[in-house]
Amino acid sequence: MRLPVPSGRKRGASVPPFPDPVGVFLNIPYDEEFTSLYVAYIVGLFQLDLVPHLAFEIPGGDRRLDRIFRLIQSCRYSLHDLSRVEVSVTSAAVPRFNMPLELGMTITWQQLHPQLHTWFVWESEPYRIQRSASDLNGSDACIHNGRPEEVLRELRNAFHRDRMPSVPEMLDRYRFVHNNLHAILLRNGTTNPYDRSVFMELCRLSNFLADVLRHTPPTV
Amino acid sequence: MPKPIHITALPPTPEEIARLFPISKASEKALLALVEEFKASHPHREDAPASSIRPEKRRKRASVS
Repeated sequence: MRLPVPSGRKRGASVPPFPDPVGVFLNIPYDEEFTSLYVAYIVGLFQLDLVPHLAFEIPGGDRRLDRIFRLIQSCRYSLHDLSRVEVSVTSAAVPRFNMPLELGMTITWQQLHPQLHTWFVWESEPYRIQRSASDLNGSDACIHNGRPEEVLRELRNAFHRDRMPSVPEMLDRYRFVHNNLHAILLRNGTTNPYDRSVFMELCRLSNFLADVLRHTPPTV
Repeated sequence: MPKPIHITALPPTPEEIARLFPISKASEKALLALVEEFKASHPHREDAPASSIRPEKRRKRASVS
């Protein structure tokens, strides 16, 4: 399929293709403590008819950074959760730079092509971002307080559709998926919720549940 | 709080989702069984069996008719 050329550019110029209008690049930590929020992001985005994408979903031998950048370019939106950018508790205290690095790549891309990308920063505490990344002052962060229900509420605040599920409806579906995560892990022979096959199943289940909602007449 | 973005783009079709997130037939069957379980535990008002309507509501309906 031939993609349209963004307006304001000459034909023949090297221009990036339009991104997926419902694609959302999720820049999150892949750790056990984050699992509930990870599931909440996936379920919540599908409830809003958006499609999450994670760096590990793309197979291939390219450099990881190249794959991540292509994924950012292919998504119209990105969510950067900086709530766990902290010094690790393991032997060598190393801050986690991946999330800020990917946010930096995204900001550069958005500055070059503002009509092609919009990014959001997420944090667990108000004003923490002003201490951890003061250059982001002036950019409002979505605050989830480390709670899945607040991830869902903030997603609903960030993305508006004419017909949206309520937060309790979203929470209900989140709980259902989260309660079935163990069975999905068992089926895929892993304990890692960030395993590619587990992510695929979480996305499919979330979309099936969103589809149930799409076919439910709105309550008056 | 950032300004909300109004989304008008259509959701992806089931075929697009299946292409983006490929899973085995067995997994798909297991997930669809879960969806049926979810639907059964969340009967929609219009689809709800009569037994799921609270007695006081049933009484009210009966008095109206």
